[in-house]
Amino acid sequence: MSKPSSRPGAAASKDGDICPVCKSSRYLNPNMKFLVNPECYHKMCESCVDRIFSHGPAPCPIAGCKYTLRKPRFRKQTFEDLKVEREVDIRRRVASILNKQESDFTGLKAYNDYLETVEETTWNLILGVDVDATNKRLKLWEDAQRAERHSSVNRPSALQGDPSAPSESAHVVLKKGNLQRKVQTAGNAKTKTTAKTDSSNGTPEPAAHEAGAGRTDAAKKPDTGFSFAGLKAYTGPPKAKPFDPYGGYDFAFQYYTLQPDYTVEWLAKPKVDPENIGGGWDIADWYGCAMFDAFSGLGVFIGDEVAEKERLEHVSGDGEIGTRRAADAAMVPTGDVIMDDVF
Amino acid sequence: MKFTEDDIYRLSSQYKNWSFTPSQLAATRLQTNIQATEHIKATIARQRAARALKADPEGISESERAGSSLDNGNATANGSGVSSGSGTPLRADKEVDCLTAAEEKKLVDIFCEKALELGKFLNFPIEVTATGIQFLRRFYLLNSPMTYFPQTISRSAMFIAAKCEDHRITAERYAESLPNTTPESILAPEYLITQALRFNFDVKHPFRGLKGGHLELMEMARGNAPAPPKSSASGPPRSASTLEQEMRRLPPPRKPHGAASNLSTASLEKRITDAYTHASHLLKTSALLTDVYLLYTPSHIWLAAHLLADDPLTTFYLGTKTPPATPLYAKILTTIRSCADMLAAHSSSSSSTRSAPHADPDPDPDEIPRLMKKLRNCRDPDRIDLVKLQEGKKRDALATAEQGADGAVRLEESKAKRRKVAREGFQKEADEFWGPALEAGKGEGEDEEGAGWDGKMEGGERGVEDKLVRQVAMRRDGG
Repeated sequence: MSKPSSRPGAAASKDGDICPVCKSSRYLNPNMKFLVNPECYHKMCESCVDRIFSHGPAPCPIAGCKYTLRKPRFRKQTFEDLKVEREVDIRRRVASILNKQESDFTGLKAYNDYLETVEETTWNLILGVDVDATNKRLKLWEDAQRAERHSSVNRPSALQGDPSAPSESAHVVLKKGNLQRKVQTAGNAKTKTTAKTDSSNGTPEPAAHEAGAGRTDAAKKPDTGFSFAGLKAYTGPPKAKPFDPYGGYDFAFQYYTLQPDYTVEWLAKPKVDPENIGGGWDIADWYGCAMFDAFSGLGVFIGDEVAEKERLEHVSGDGEIGTRRAADAAMVPTGDVIMDDVF
Repeated sequence: MKFTEDDIYRLSSQYKNWSFTPSQLAATRLQTNIQATEHIKATIARQRAARALKADPEGISESERAGSSLDNGNATANGSGVSSGSGTPLRADKEVDCLTAAEEKKLVDIFCEKALELGKFLNFPIEVTATGIQFLRRFYLLNSPMTYFPQTISRSAMFIAAKCEDHRITAERYAESLPNTTPESILAPEYLITQALRFNFDVKHPFRGLKGGHLELMEMARGNAPAPPKSSASGPPRSASTLEQEMRRLPPPRKPHGAASNLSTASLEKRITDAYTHASHLLKTSALLTDVYLLYTPSHIWLAAHLLADDPLTTFYLGTKTPPATPLYAKILTTIRSCADMLAAHSSSSSSTRSAPHADPDPDPDEIPRLMKKLRNCRDPDRIDLVKLQEGKKRDALATAEQGADGAVRLEESKAKRRKVAREGFQKEADEFWGPALEAGKGEGEDEEGAGWDGKMEGGERGVEDKLVRQVAMRRDGG
């Protein structure tokens, strides 16, 4: 058998139907499925994965592969070409970290610069150029972004218990998940050790990120891995206004001030009647209604206002409309007939 | 945007559709009267012509000419156009003596009083009765009592009011409690009324407003209620205790220029309660039976009633709301006084102690029977039986085709056909969705299934059409 190629997918077409680990072929087992792990992208059959990785992490069985793999990460490959599969994975990861949009920048130029940086980073990872440094920068940027979004400065209402803001416990879970992932990957490979140690002790290496070093004031600002010119400061989601049931309208009653309570004989009984109180009836509402009824329309003089309205209706509109209206009025008798008699 | 009480009132349908100036009100009534008169005269003339045609086929050309001349010019149709006609008894009662606008208004007033009694008889709360009466008044603003008989309408309007004011009663029970009434006769004019009301079911009454004012006056008398912030032209509004002191020194109610008394709290409260009782009585009677609802806002109405009950107290109270030196105050007071005059002028308030300045002279005792008799002679013949009309509207005028020999009421053939087609369409759609209707307990042949309902209807339709054809043929033969 040919020895497994170190470049994933190279022999896919030729050995596509034979598992490189157990050498069983699809000819014998038509239900055979091949799985890959996004660490090293070596293909193997499902039964091999079950057999080797069921009891926890184990080194990749392909000779010469130095990665330790775990069973949950095995999956069916989406693309026939494993190079493409790998590139898509990398792009997905980078895009989830460097996830700015054009609206986040002051101009198109700044956004294009940003996109170039993103593409450069992606290709660095794909082609294996400066992988450690790039991963480290991505990690720093991710942490910085998360810190910015979840910082207490951008969460002013968190202390007052705003339900819309992410809760404290959710934050903790996120951190914890992050921590676990760190522990998982810590023992993985030597290649990542530098990045891990750097981020764990929290002191960034100024030399590792030239782009950031030039602009950030190292003394004040923590290192964020990347820095983009023209990136707007994160302002957080717009603060929700308190709900206004009247939609901006308000009442300004000018003829009365409502008293908390009124005492008259004929109200004494209904006020304490359990039939009323039990139903949630509030006498204060009735006071409000009564006082409103008393003065609603006090300053409305129908004699003047209705006459004015009628005058305006006659005056309004240009001459043509006016004449047409007059013609209509002459044609159709108003009143009873316009009332479109039901019978 | 801030809303004041007045802005909110301006949004109500009562302000938008049912508020008039006195001249507008009179013009609307006159127009309604003129239109109804013309319509009735034309209808009766047509009917007479048709009757003449039936009774005397030879004189058709004669009577037709008479009918057409009546149709063309109602103003000139005083018999001169047909003077050449032979003196048949049909021609004798040529001119219909229709009601005038003033007589119509008097009739409506009479029936409003009747409606008030009806409400009392049915033990309805005053709000329901008041709403019913206002519905009646609004209805007869745009319809004439000659067209629709007020008693039928008032019963139905009261029923609608009961529903609007949350005083539920079924049509059956309602009809049972009244003599010579069936649920159908209650329900028949219902849609007619609601449409005439422009579907405005909300009537704003002054009753609760009066209670609110009374509550505040009582608190003021006890020194608990300060004046509202805008009540003073200069300086801060008067405090509660100042108001109380001023209130005690008010002159007594019946003598506005009498000596100022210094009342104790108890007697002041009694005075306020008396004023409330009197005003409440006025609102429940004369306010309902006059046009004040159409001319003034509820706020003005209750203040006017209160003014009639206790003038100094009301003017003082108004002064706490708006500074007495401003034009607004003067205007409100003028409006209220004119409203109060209107209330006082009504006969039902003549029993009150305050003398009405220009109350109507006692109505002629023969007036009511005379008007009723006149109304009986000039009613619109097409709209006497509303129940039948309603039935005709619901189905294809199967019932009404018989009635109205002149064809005014009968549904036109095309309309009936259109309705039938639409109904069949609905039926078909329903059948497609639900399947055809089950023929319960029939057990007939397959071919009969599904044809029962439609087949019957078609038979009915055919009957009507045959009848129409026969009528037309008869007429053609006659001519």
